[in-house]
Amino acid sequence: MDRLLDARELAKAYGSGAKALRILDGISFSVSKGEFVSIVGPSGCGKTTLLMALAGLMKPDSGSILFQGTPLNGPSPGISVVFQDYSRSLFPWKTNLDNILFGMIRNPSMSRADKRRRGLELMDAVGLKGFDAHYPWQLSGGMQQRVAIARGLAAESELLLLDEPLAAVDAQTRADMQDLLLELAARFNQTCILVTHDVDEAVYMADRVVVLTRRPTRVDHEIPVDLGTRRDQITTREDPRFLEIRHDVMAAIRRFRAEVPLAEKA
Amino acid sequence: MALETLLLRFRGPVSFLIIVLVWQIVASLQLVPEKYFPGIPAIASSFWTMLLSGELLTGDGLTLMRALIGLAGSVVIGVSLAILSDVSPVFRAGFQPIAALVQPIPPAALVPMAVFMLGLGAKLYAFIIILVTVWPPYLNGVAALAATGDVPMKTGRMLGLSDRDILFRIKLPAAMPEIFSGIRYAATISLIAVVVSEMLAGHDGLGFMLIRKAFATKIPDVYALMFVCALNGALINWLVNRARWQMTGWHIRMTERTP
Repeated sequence: MDRLLDARELAKAYGSGAKALRILDGISFSVSKGEFVSIVGPSGCGKTTLLMALAGLMKPDSGSILFQGTPLNGPSPGISVVFQDYSRSLFPWKTNLDNILFGMIRNPSMSRADKRRRGLELMDAVGLKGFDAHYPWQLSGGMQQRVAIARGLAAESELLLLDEPLAAVDAQTRADMQDLLLELAARFNQTCILVTHDVDEAVYMADRVVVLTRRPTRVDHEIPVDLGTRRDQITTREDPRFLEIRHDVMAAIRRFRAEVPLAEKA
Repeated sequence: MALETLLLRFRGPVSFLIIVLVWQIVASLQLVPEKYFPGIPAIASSFWTMLLSGELLTGDGLTLMRALIGLAGSVVIGVSLAILSDVSPVFRAGFQPIAALVQPIPPAALVPMAVFMLGLGAKLYAFIIILVTVWPPYLNGVAALAATGDVPMKTGRMLGLSDRDILFRIKLPAAMPEIFSGIRYAATISLIAVVVSEMLAGHDGLGFMLIRKAFATKIPDVYALMFVCALNGALINWLVNRARWQMTGWHIRMTERTP
């Protein structure tokens, strides 16, 4: 498989000297084209810091990120992010369609009419047909995140970074959105990195799970999720293999939790 | 219920009628000699005479024009200064104490200086209006631009926008509603500044008419002109509100939706 992204020994600390808070401590992993990779770790392990580094929005202190074979220095048109906080990430003065079109801003070669056509197609793909002239704040949380996902896809980036995209939506919507994301990833052959604190979600969605240690964070281990490409909210979650992988990931994370002194847990 | 919605719908005219009614009651009670506190009919007839003679429209037209031009200038200058403050922390740090010093000066206190420096004319009005009305759009603009959240900025950077694009396509639109509340406030001050300047240093306009009628003890005329000042406020507010709907209608609808 083609290597799309290579993260090598990424390290990041906030502050300096004895007071420095080491967040990332040499993280290495890679992602191939077409893969869906989940990154999970114990709470406060610097998942978001890692994702910001992968998005080119934060420069690591050391280590490198190779994207399509070249070092990543800052935001790249090849990498789009869907943020957790959709209500702030969508622009309230733009209609849903205009928000999605804004995602194509780095594609000047496409004509206005083509962009519009593609924007409407994407709205249809995320199940929001007919809401193009509405504003994000006229929609429910789940629907707003669908707009944000459509904007993420609109850029036609090789890599889509999903920063806990479903953390703020209710449980039932969440299951629907997981399936929607899987369907879209398959349909557009979209490589995705999902950062989440939800172990079940991480396993359910991914081809491979990268488990992080607690802070200062390294990669603990990786598990391939050999559950096939078709996932089902009921049968996949009952699959013995699913439960086995879930057990493995959960055990690792709980082990890290147990190592944290009680005072820090509170 | 139907009455309530009707009253709300026409709250402007209704409150005007209430004021007129209270005025007439006070006048009828003769607490103040009628000569100094005439009833509504006398004031209305003064208004009508001045309207027919054309002097009211000419005078008030000048006043409104000055206020609107001054306001437009203030908005352009205020928002530009706010953008400059956002781009350059050095400018912001240097300009803030100047703003803090100039802002509290009342328009009337500026008139003598403006007369000495600029003489009696359009420049005087422009100087005074802008110096007193530039602050609300500037201060609101600075605060709102600085308050743009982390997520919208990251979204912009993720999409590859330059600093300049982030400013004009994300921060400024997001700051617009707050800038407009500054403009609404500035609109009222601009009317006050014009009338005061006309009273002290003008040779035409509503303020000049007011002071001349007052010295001539044409009391119903004075009161009629005072009512015109109030109507000017309503008019300029209406204009600013139209622009506000035009430019930040999304925000008005968004905030009305969630009480």
